[in-house]
Amino acid sequence: MDWAWLIPVFCFAAAPVIVVAGRFLPGKGASLSVLAIAGGFAMFWVVLAGFLGAGPASNDCFTSVDTRALTCAFSLSWFQAGDVQFFWGIVIDPLAVVMLGLVTFVALLVQIYSLGYMHGDPRFGWYFAVHSLFAAAMLTLVLADNFLLLYVAWELVGICSYLLIGFWHERPAAKEAAKKAFIVTRIGDVGLLVGILLLWREVGSFSMADAFDAARTGAMSEGVATAAALLLFLGAMGKSAQVPFHVWLPDAMEGPTPVSALIHAATMVVAGVYLVARAFPIFQAYDADPLLVVAIVGLVTALMAASIALAATDLKRILAYSTISHLGLMMLSLGAFGYTAAVFHLLAHGFAKALLFLAAGSVLHSTGEQDIRRMGGLRRVMPLTALVFSVGALSLGGIPILAGYWSKEEVLAAVGYHRNAAFLVFALLASFLSALYMARAMFAAFFGATKPGLEQVRDAPALMAWPMVLLAVLAAGFGWVSFNWPGAYDGLGTFLFFGQAHGFKFTWWLGILSAILAIIAFALAVLVYVRGADFHHAARARFALVIRVVENKYYFDEVYQWTVDRVVLAFSGLVALFDRAVVNDLAVNGPAHFIRRLGFALRLHVTGHVYSYALGMALGTVGLAIFWWLRST
Amino acid sequence: MLTVSWFVFVLLAVLTLGGALGVVLTRNVVHAALALLLSLLATAGVYLVLFAEFLALVQVLIYGGAVTIVVVFALMLTRGGDYPRISDNKQWPLAAAAAVGLLAVLVPAFLINTPEDTQAQSPAFSELANSLFTRWAIPFEIASLVLLVALVGAIIIARSGRDEG
Amino acid sequence: MPSLFHFQLLSAALFVIGMYGVLSRRSAVLIVMSIELMLNAVNINLIAAASHLNGIGGFIRFDGHVIAIFVITIAAAELGLALAIILRIYRNRQTVNVDEIDLMRG
Repeated sequence: MDWAWLIPVFCFAAAPVIVVAGRFLPGKGASLSVLAIAGGFAMFWVVLAGFLGAGPASNDCFTSVDTRALTCAFSLSWFQAGDVQFFWGIVIDPLAVVMLGLVTFVALLVQIYSLGYMHGDPRFGWYFAVHSLFAAAMLTLVLADNFLLLYVAWELVGICSYLLIGFWHERPAAKEAAKKAFIVTRIGDVGLLVGILLLWREVGSFSMADAFDAARTGAMSEGVATAAALLLFLGAMGKSAQVPFHVWLPDAMEGPTPVSALIHAATMVVAGVYLVARAFPIFQAYDADPLLVVAIVGLVTALMAASIALAATDLKRILAYSTISHLGLMMLSLGAFGYTAAVFHLLAHGFAKALLFLAAGSVLHSTGEQDIRRMGGLRRVMPLTALVFSVGALSLGGIPILAGYWSKEEVLAAVGYHRNAAFLVFALLASFLSALYMARAMFAAFFGATKPGLEQVRDAPALMAWPMVLLAVLAAGFGWVSFNWPGAYDGLGTFLFFGQAHGFKFTWWLGILSAILAIIAFALAVLVYVRGADFHHAARARFALVIRVVENKYYFDEVYQWTVDRVVLAFSGLVALFDRAVVNDLAVNGPAHFIRRLGFALRLHVTGHVYSYALGMALGTVGLAIFWWLRST
Repeated sequence: MLTVSWFVFVLLAVLTLGGALGVVLTRNVVHAALALLLSLLATAGVYLVLFAEFLALVQVLIYGGAVTIVVVFALMLTRGGDYPRISDNKQWPLAAAAAVGLLAVLVPAFLINTPEDTQAQSPAFSELANSLFTRWAIPFEIASLVLLVALVGAIIIARSGRDEG
Repeated sequence: MPSLFHFQLLSAALFVIGMYGVLSRRSAVLIVMSIELMLNAVNINLIAAASHLNGIGGFIRFDGHVIAIFVITIAAAELGLALAIILRIYRNRQTVNVDEIDLMRG
């Protein structure tokens, strides 16, 4: 377990090697990248085994007062600035372990899938180099034991996502999407940075453990704790695409589809959820007011994104809004003290969403089509893809005994226990909508009549199929790990948090209700897209205005565009004017012009005439004589 | 005796300054050269009033003879005679101001610092020679070297050699 | 009998006249002549001081006379060099007017 820091180091080392020497390696360096992440995945098992075997008595391990979970920390002095000591440090606790597992596993599968998907791309090696860096940054993020290292990794994740979303930078749309993702998340990052600095000022170190201690013992005042929590949450909102920062994620579809799978499932957007979960003791301190904000933002995001997903027609966009919606659910769960439920849903959603994106990528790879209105009946030509996509959609839609059902039920239970009825009603609505749009995507694309032109499509090659199958198994069966099995295993919830009985608490009436809702949603989709029922057109006509608003994504992009055009550009113009007139002309060119004019003026005295110089000498002599004379008297 | 020496001094002073003014004011270069000669010879007379016979002799020989001749040669060689109407440059008012200013500084300085009742004394020739060749021997030799170098330099500068472009 | 002050007055007047000539004349030859005037003024001052102050305040053995001899020597050397330079300039530029010689103009 002492070697856990090797996991990100593998990938960090692989990235520059691929860039420099990739062309000499098999598969342009892709093999090295896959090897590195596979090594990381292998290390994950070693770490897991070590962690399960370690007791509070082992070296470097202790039972944290804040999370009440076994925590192992290893740190190394990094540098010292003034009185402040900086550390490279990793912390291994249950949250870090499960995140390590998710990231290494999904990244490994996505890379293997990419071997097939990206085959023949001119920048094949570069793709894998950035991929490695991306995984490394995310792994560092989950292992970091101090906020400074976390911030570094956080920004590294941001820049890698920028590079990958804009991977096909010949396309203007990809370029714009990459810039949008970078800039929008950056707004949140400012909040994160300010929050980290605030904590540092208050606590005197960047260490998370110190900050949690201060929050628990009251060394950190309530105002600071609340402000810090909200600032951290601002960063999380940017990365996790919460309203109103959600606009970048749908556009991030411009990157290669495996990248979307990685971003949505494992490396990018879950960073925000992870941050809130990691800093939970700060959010929880005092009255836990910040958690109410988290819950409200999560709920609004979940509802809004789900409604947009229902109106979208691009398969990848549906999945993107679905991700936003589910991230909202995770945030809602965190906001309802449902720490374990949120992490559980994060994992279940991660596997399912990676699967769905890989399947969507498979469809795109084979047909070149993204619009579900032009798909249909694909199950006949792409049976495997259709099967795994259906598993992912059913799981995410919350059909019983699949992983998504259990995790969603846990989220709803948390909301039901800790927040009032209104939250629960809206959460159920979001859950129902998520089932509905998943059903719509699934039935519209893969069932019904086969659209013309799709008859000759071939299914995914083996290199792309195997990762999908593995993910499908997990998306279907992952829920079982949460159960409190007889024996030593107390369930995922107990493992994650509190170290005491916080196991799986199935709430019967909620479980049945959510199952019924999910089944209704799928049944509706079957009616409309398979049986050809036509009542939805009437509904469309009736709620035309609502539909238009939803189809235009609540006009977020338009409002932002207007703001940028009117406010930001006007302000920029003002700043530019200031820069030109005051900074440039007055402050920079001003002295230059002055010296120039002075030079021209002074130049007149250099006449080149001997007698002029002689006059100067004479006048100087007279002046000196007067001076000495005055001095002597 | 008293009045005679005063008369001689004033006469010589007037000649000296008049010659000098002629040099700096006249518009004819030849007249300027003649005025210079007048001023230099009158200076030699001033030396006599100061009982410096040897220097008066030197002054007549070198300035009255050699220097004037050289200056006239220079005027001749530079065709100064062809353009006798010389004029002053544009900064002459400033020059006049500087000159008056210097005079205004010098005169009070002399007035304050000079002892009143002193008599001019004459050095014996032997005494002067003794001083020149014992105490000032090294500067004397250096001065002769300077003269030699100046002579060689003047020849090299002024000659129209074959290396001239 | 004129006193030391009168000789100094003469010297000062001669010096400033020479200086005026140096500063105001256009022809290089006339400037050189004015310099000679200034040197003569210095000599008058030196000799007058040496004659009057022999034995007073540490002035001994008519050193002023000796220095005057040196001044005359240097003046001769300087005159020769200056006129040689003027000749060379005249040959190169067909003029000896210093306001037409402004190669060093800034």
